[in-house]
Amino acid sequence: MVETFQDLYLGFSIALSPQVLVYAFVGCIIGTLVGMMPGLGPLAGISLLLPATFGLNPIIAIVLLSGVYYGAMYGGSTTSILMRIPGEAASVMTCIDGYAMTQNGRAGPALAIAAIGSFIAGSLGVVGLMLLAPTLAAFALRFGPPEYTALLLMGFFILAYMSAGSMPKTLSMAGLGLIFGMVGIDTMTGYTRFSFGVIELGDGIGIVPVAVGLFGISEILLVAGAAEPPKVQRPKLRELIPSREELRLSVGPIARGSLLGFLIGIIPGSAHIISSFVSYGIERRISKHPERFGSGAIEGVAGPESANNSAASGAFVPMMALGIPTSPITAVMIAAVMVHGISPGPLLIQQQPELFWGFVASMYVGNVVLLILNLPMVGLFVNLLRIPYAYLYPCILCFTILGGYSVANSIVDVWIMLGMGVIGYLLRKFGYDLAPIALGLVLAPMLELSVRQSLAMSAGTYAIFVNRPIAAIMLGIGVLIVVLSLKPLISKRKDWRASVGLESEQS
Amino acid sequence: MRLSTTISACVIAFAALTAFAQEPYPTRPVNVVVPFPPGGMADLSARPLAAAMEKIWKQPVPIINRPGAGGAVGMQSVSIAKPDGYTVMVTLVSYNTIPEVDAMFGRAPAYSREQFVPIALIAADPPVLVVHPSLPAKSVKDLVALAKKRPNEIVFSHSGVYGPSHVPMEMFVHAAGIKMRHLPAVGGGPTMALVLGGHAGMWASPPAMAVPHIANTKLRALASWGDKRLASLPDVPTFKEVGYDLEFYVWSGMFAPRGVGTAVVSSLRETVRQAVLSVDFKTSMERIKTPIAYLDALEFQKFLEKDLKMLSSAIRRMGKIEEAK
Repeated sequence: MVETFQDLYLGFSIALSPQVLVYAFVGCIIGTLVGMMPGLGPLAGISLLLPATFGLNPIIAIVLLSGVYYGAMYGGSTTSILMRIPGEAASVMTCIDGYAMTQNGRAGPALAIAAIGSFIAGSLGVVGLMLLAPTLAAFALRFGPPEYTALLLMGFFILAYMSAGSMPKTLSMAGLGLIFGMVGIDTMTGYTRFSFGVIELGDGIGIVPVAVGLFGISEILLVAGAAEPPKVQRPKLRELIPSREELRLSVGPIARGSLLGFLIGIIPGSAHIISSFVSYGIERRISKHPERFGSGAIEGVAGPESANNSAASGAFVPMMALGIPTSPITAVMIAAVMVHGISPGPLLIQQQPELFWGFVASMYVGNVVLLILNLPMVGLFVNLLRIPYAYLYPCILCFTILGGYSVANSIVDVWIMLGMGVIGYLLRKFGYDLAPIALGLVLAPMLELSVRQSLAMSAGTYAIFVNRPIAAIMLGIGVLIVVLSLKPLISKRKDWRASVGLESEQS
Repeated sequence: MRLSTTISACVIAFAALTAFAQEPYPTRPVNVVVPFPPGGMADLSARPLAAAMEKIWKQPVPIINRPGAGGAVGMQSVSIAKPDGYTVMVTLVSYNTIPEVDAMFGRAPAYSREQFVPIALIAADPPVLVVHPSLPAKSVKDLVALAKKRPNEIVFSHSGVYGPSHVPMEMFVHAAGIKMRHLPAVGGGPTMALVLGGHAGMWASPPAMAVPHIANTKLRALASWGDKRLASLPDVPTFKEVGYDLEFYVWSGMFAPRGVGTAVVSSLRETVRQAVLSVDFKTSMERIKTPIAYLDALEFQKFLEKDLKMLSSAIRRMGKIEEAK
């Protein structure tokens, strides 16, 4: 323990040097802006910035890039809350209740809670990374394809309870998402599926253009088609601060979101996007007033926003402790230190303590910087709502198309985004909920891959899912969730969904 | 109005004249398309090369990442780019494998090799066979004996079907006359996680990625696919040393779209040659632990033909992959 503090002292002495601090600020600012740009997420942000870090020293490079990473995770929530346009894919769930809060005139508190939740989750994530990285990394490696399958199945069971709409509509939208997820090269055999000769579809349909199109572009189209423009809001200063009640309601979701996000983040290959979906599902499931979800529940902002930020910290566990990039984002971060001749790996902590501890300390610093930067900016961001829609939305549409293109210099992505915008517009006109499409699209390729990988491991025997303890336990929990969720159907108790009729409010 | 028309006509005529004489190259930025995401091997070797070329040409040489479909998206975009020398690409061994796989599946090819002119080979990195320590095989000989005793039981992983860690394994399995099952993953990081976690027994890893884990005894290296031992792993024999005539490299090289003028090609060749020899480039490649393997256009062409012959017979042997059922 004493050693840890000594190491941490070394780390802080590096992280608090003025030069590093400046880059932490710059990284957080760039990240927040990148996150706010619809279509540009953390991956695009750090990929675009990577070449610029080659000339810096490795600690600064990683501080800058991780600043961009969690800046973008936070920044994505801003446009979701204010305009129902997800800045990046992990902010899809924030759109639902965040935007509803804006319509209720509570944009300021929603933004503030998102910032505070991100800060707490980020800080707890760093503590977890610091104290548990080697232990957790060893555990994370035990997560093979069968365990991963079980985890994803749990995600699907939660999906069943995610939507506020009717069950057939939710399931049909999830099905649509799963179908979109089938497009692309079959990873097990190399066959191309549903790509119609378009080479760009070989990698499948990306979640970023779909999320931005479905939610963002459809929102712009809906506003354009409305009989009269939505009223321009003039937020007052005292409305910016969360009320005591809102703070009280947020404590639980932030704590649960932080833990959940961190755990999902450390598992190799899993995405921070899922953590926000699962967090939203859990919060609504355990809430005493689930009917508030969808019409401005602060828990629906606090939970997912905390979860996606601590998942960002969690993803650093396998990266720092083992040197394995388990996601595209950590792959870019590893490249950033590799070009300096440092091989990230299990020996990094011993061989380059100043890098490891400097990084850990800079993450603490980065989270503080992000909070200092963003709380005062809430006032500024909220004032974006004062801009008349006639000017604001065309600008956003431009940024969206630019962002969608610049991720992979791909015009096909732009078409997917615009197509999804039209689909999203029509579906919302008919009262369908869009979130299950996004979740289906994220889960489908992952679940397919892990099921088929498991069977490749076992030579086709399904027993592999129950022979392995971790997988068996998680599947057991999943079955329990299904049974519990069937209870209201069997006991014919009136479901809250029937009585509230949230559907009509959605379009 | 008329004056300006006259002037612009003169300017155009002058420009046409100079172009006819001998257009200096390059007079504007030269885009280097990398058909892989930032941070990968192609990207990390293209960037220092571009930086060195920038110094020689005194013109910006920006890298443009166009990832997708294992490199097919970016390579196709270059194959149809204007052959004026201002769009070139740095790509990997997949250049040779993608058309072979397309042909086997009978689908419209993303591009054909005839659409490119090879400029230079830049780097070639032989993978290394690493096994999980729980596998009772200390050498290639042990492994072959084990696999003969337990056919179709040992599982190897790779980063994608027909990809640069799948083909070398297939070559080994074929040469040794053994049978193993395969566990495809997506990308090098996840593949490494599967092997480190013991979910798969082995894979053909890029040396830079495997070295820290070998040092930490979490992985055991059995052999490498190069023609001589790796500088970073001097104790690990090559397949040739242990009796298998196997050679495989994850190489990166520069190409231009076919149709570029001879003057442009010679300028590119000369500039790449100088850039590869520069100290900055050497230091950068040492840092990412990737051996430089420079070959000029003509030898590169021969290298490509030899590589293709080997890859295409390996891919044809693999055929369309049947899933374990």
